[in-house]
Amino acid sequence: MADPNQYLRLQLGGTSYLLPGASGFTIEQREHLITNKSPEGNIAAWQSVRSARLPAYCLDGMLRVTRHPDWHRAVFLDALPHAVGLVVDEVQLLPRAETTVTPFTPLGLPPTRLGHLFSGAWVMGHRLMLVFDPQAFVAYLQSLGDE
Amino acid sequence: MGKPRSGPRLHSLEVPLDGITLLVPSAAIAEVINLQNMVPVPFSQPWMNGAIGWRTLAVPVISFETLLGAPATARPAIGKIVVFYPLGGRQDWEFFAMFAASEPRPQVLDGSQPVAEGSELPDSPYIAAGLKVDGRLILIPDLEALKKAFYPT
Repeated sequence: MADPNQYLRLQLGGTSYLLPGASGFTIEQREHLITNKSPEGNIAAWQSVRSARLPAYCLDGMLRVTRHPDWHRAVFLDALPHAVGLVVDEVQLLPRAETTVTPFTPLGLPPTRLGHLFSGAWVMGHRLMLVFDPQAFVAYLQSLGDE
Repeated sequence: MGKPRSGPRLHSLEVPLDGITLLVPSAAIAEVINLQNMVPVPFSQPWMNGAIGWRTLAVPVISFETLLGAPATARPAIGKIVVFYPLGGRQDWEFFAMFAASEPRPQVLDGSQPVAEGSELPDSPYIAAGLKVDGRLILIPDLEALKKAFYPT
């Protein structure tokens, strides 16, 4: 249930990132997903939707693919041709009034064909959380493959 | 003995790095701050160490030494962070920063300082020139080349 006035805080490993609510997402509990029992491959679980299986990936705090058994939910980001999922350690909806996001441009070559993974940041004194660029982040997840 | 050649005075700052010293116009530097926690930016270039919170902005922090070809290293334990104003033509929030080994020192140039020979300079597109100040080599970064590295698209 995406709300354009909210950000979603995603905790991956020990690191939190923000996803703009306007990008569109759904949160699924693990029991509604099909866990990948094979230790091989990048996919941690699938969501079965009609005749399709939507992949969900498990990433560490540096956004590298990892696998660990102790997770309870995944966030599926709206995308074409189908949504793509992300296993999260914690997920929290933050009202936009509580977050002040300023633009941020990472330096150097972007890692995806759609640009840098981050387009903003929420700065709280000396602490900050990076805000995903939804299109680039989806492109990154899609680049992880369907196996 | 002739008087040293002199010209308009240019207020600059010497920024001591690890093994080299940069010379930048004072007007290019927004603030010098103490080291603080830095957030890593996944999949960034080896010369980009991460980002810090500064005022209301996230500011990317670079290692100029790594940009010159030195191996990437962890955040130094001591030193300063020098925050630079955005490069010409960039957005007014696109500050960037680099680690300095210690507090930058003011340096007033008047054109009398000898220019370093090309053979004395690192072989890098990010160095525009060098000066000899009190017998020490100080390097002038090429801000246009930096801009191309920072914002290649």
